[in-house]
Amino acid sequence: MMSLPFIIFACALGAAWLRQRGVAIGLWVAGVLVMLVLFRIHVTEVLSISL
Amino acid sequence: MPAELSRLLNALGLIAIVTALSIAFVDQLWFRDLPCPLCILQRAGFTAAGVGIALNLMFGPRPSHYGMTILGASVGASISIRQILLHIVPGTGSYGNAIFGLHLYTWALIGFALTIVWSAILLFDDRQFENPEPWSKRLDVLPLTALITFFLLALGNAVSTLLICGVGLLGQCPANPAHYLLLE
Repeated sequence: MMSLPFIIFACALGAAWLRQRGVAIGLWVAGVLVMLVLFRIHVTEVLSISL
Repeated sequence: MPAELSRLLNALGLIAIVTALSIAFVDQLWFRDLPCPLCILQRAGFTAAGVGIALNLMFGPRPSHYGMTILGASVGASISIRQILLHIVPGTGSYGNAIFGLHLYTWALIGFALTIVWSAILLFDDRQFENPEPWSKRLDVLPLTALITFFLLALGNAVSTLLICGVGLLGQCPANPAHYLLLE
């Protein structure tokens, strides 16, 4: 679910607005980890080169 | 560096990220140039970097917040580099429209590099960490506008990505999206 990082980062901003700094940083870490997983999935997408 | 200057520079940094995300949105909506999965992840990289700046604006500057910005930009830069390498061989084509001769993923790498350098330069001055301003003073017009716009862009990207990639599990997003999957 590619939209998950944005949702998590938006939640982190919401937590920061509610002055929950620890929660905001935790959500940010989760968002970055999800990004890395999604990058791992899409990093090997087919490159059509004719050599 | 006094607290006011730190706040101003952080607000300008967040506005720069908001500008980058807005340009990507204009390219998507106005020129109908749908983002690929790697393009979407680069937008997420800018959002990750922006959260660190947003925390600087809301809680006052802290080294950990700058660290978040640098890490977020580093992940985004890695994704940009990967996409540049996909198209670096002559004759392999490119993805999306070019702006001033460079594609968005190349501009994204420049943006991430500038974000990292900008954060590192701001980290040099320890005085900004000494006397944090009260919450009410920190969020005047410029930082507040930047924060609200940034939040709306994060939500907008979540909705846009949902429309392009659908609600399915990982890996469903097409590598070369031609239409909004959820609007079919």
